[in-house]
Amino acid sequence: MGHVALNGVRVAAGTRTLFENISFEIAPAEFVAIVGPNGAGKTTLLRTMAGFIRPLAGEVTIDGVAVHRLSARERALGVTLLGSESELPYGTSVRDVVATGRFAHRDWWEWGERESDGRSVDAALRHVDLSECAERPFETLSSGERQRARLALALAQEASLVLVDEPTSHLDPRFAHEILGLLRSLAQGPRSVVAVLHDLSQAAAADRVLIVGDGELIADGPPYDALDPVILERAYHIAFNRFEQAGNLTVAPRGPLVPRRSDDARVARGSAQGMDVTGKHPAGAAPVGTGHDANADRILGAGLVPGVGDAGFAGDDDGRGSRPR
Amino acid sequence: MTVALRLGSLGLAVCAAMLLGLFVGGSALPAASVAWTLLHPHASGDVATIVWQLRAPRVCIAALVGAALAVSGFLLQGMLRNPLVDPFLTGISSGAALATALAIAAGLAIPFVPALGFGAGLLTALLVAFLARRGSGLDAERLILAGISLSALFSAFVALALTRVGRASSSTILAWLAGSIAGRGWNELFWAAPYAIAGFGLALAVVPALNALRLGDDVARAVGLDVVRANWMILSAATLLTAAAVALAGTIGFVGLIVPHLARRMLGTDGRKALVASALLGAALVPLADAASRTRWAPAEIPLGVLLAIIGVPTFLYLYLRPASATRMWGT
Repeated sequence: MGHVALNGVRVAAGTRTLFENISFEIAPAEFVAIVGPNGAGKTTLLRTMAGFIRPLAGEVTIDGVAVHRLSARERALGVTLLGSESELPYGTSVRDVVATGRFAHRDWWEWGERESDGRSVDAALRHVDLSECAERPFETLSSGERQRARLALALAQEASLVLVDEPTSHLDPRFAHEILGLLRSLAQGPRSVVAVLHDLSQAAAADRVLIVGDGELIADGPPYDALDPVILERAYHIAFNRFEQAGNLTVAPRGPLVPRRSDDARVARGSAQGMDVTGKHPAGAAPVGTGHDANADRILGAGLVPGVGDAGFAGDDDGRGSRPR
Repeated sequence: MTVALRLGSLGLAVCAAMLLGLFVGGSALPAASVAWTLLHPHASGDVATIVWQLRAPRVCIAALVGAALAVSGFLLQGMLRNPLVDPFLTGISSGAALATALAIAAGLAIPFVPALGFGAGLLTALLVAFLARRGSGLDAERLILAGISLSALFSAFVALALTRVGRASSSTILAWLAGSIAGRGWNELFWAAPYAIAGFGLALAVVPALNALRLGDDVARAVGLDVVRANWMILSAATLLTAAAVALAGTIGFVGLIVPHLARRMLGTDGRKALVASALLGAALVPLADAASRTRWAPAEIPLGVLLAIIGVPTFLYLYLRPASATRMWGT
């Protein structure tokens, strides 16, 4: 149960191909973070995994069954997607919002709530610590509570794969930390969690990190290996620092790559390999993985198409190219 | 007040409004003889004819039209998550109005007019849905734009027709446009009821889908709703209900726009309660307004749609938009 695989998937948004020939698998109980620059197609990838978009080539399978062959209801029992934003249903109680997750567990015309629905909704509300807010209108919750309620919805749905798009955007560090903890707690038993994250240090909390950019899967591995400055530079085209303290990995942008060559990232990568971290570090934080890491080649080699500069670079959300010029 | 109690009182309000409609009317009949006639359905005489052949069908039609328009508005507002939407969004009323205007101008026999309006309304809704397609689905924005554009076009043709026809025809057309159930009888009701019943059945079936759609298309899709199919079903239900209502009573505004808001305010956004409440509220309001339109200024009748708007809109504005209630806009 809960084994998800992408085999040679090609994803396009309109006429623009975002990913060519992407393959990876998600094991049960795994918490996977997807990171990459704006416009790289992370959301589209999630929507493809959720079965909202049919891939142009290849297929997404859950326990060996292609997602696009399933009915909407069958699909929802296997995979769910929490988008980065949802409508604010004015006047709808938190409990009603969470109970929406039980839709696929009833026949489509069925009005009543089954006993199992009630139990599942209550358990989900308890899990995210919102039992006391159950009867409050959803719009009166704070941003962090809303996000928790939406996670409860996914939990009540009991899908084996939970896809989450930017669950921590708009949240302060405390709530973001709380949501990450919840995501981690959801990834157990047959259930796995895949989250698109922008904060690389948050991604370090996952079991595994996928880095996408330039139309390909750049890296796939444990956070310590995947969140390597060299790999990140390939994805984001800027330089990164990495620190480790008390087992926590912190990754922060350092600045533009030198030399600023926009047309050949391999040059940039070569130069990054020779770079040293010269910035100031917090007391006690030791820079690790500065420049080239032996792990980087291993991770980089995992299922990626060689030739960084070959694929067209996708624009960011504003439609501008985000590669430094 | 519990949900059952609220729905129960709405049900009682429907009965009361319909009964009132039987007891009042253009010709002042003694209440006792109306009551006697109601208890003896097979009696004959003037009173029996007035009660059973004039008032009873009218009251039933009013209730059906009210419920149909309110449910149709509730469905479309829920599907498009837009509180400004009303059942005539899909151009049904303007299509029907144009067909009716042309039919009256061409001197077609009045009994054919409702059927013609029904057909033209359905055709217009189909055309709007066709224009609003994107892929296999419906695009909310395109639906609204197509509906508004076609309505504007057809209204222009109706206005043109009004300037070209004789006074007698134009007053018939205007009466139809203002919305009225004067002169409708059992035949029209039996003819339109099957479509309305099909619409109600479909509406009940899409209630779980409407509840899922409250959180937006993406969440609904994620929890297992086939959004494309659900949207077509909702649109079909709304179209059948509106077309039946328009065929019976012409263009009656207010009910389809405002009753769903009142229903949500009374019982919350859960379609299982709010849809039923919308139907009951609509079925109580329209017979009540019809009774008032028949009696208050007898023997002249104020068109039903006009009366509903004149009384209903200020009431709604007071209930809904006064500053004190701003915090409870969609309150449960």
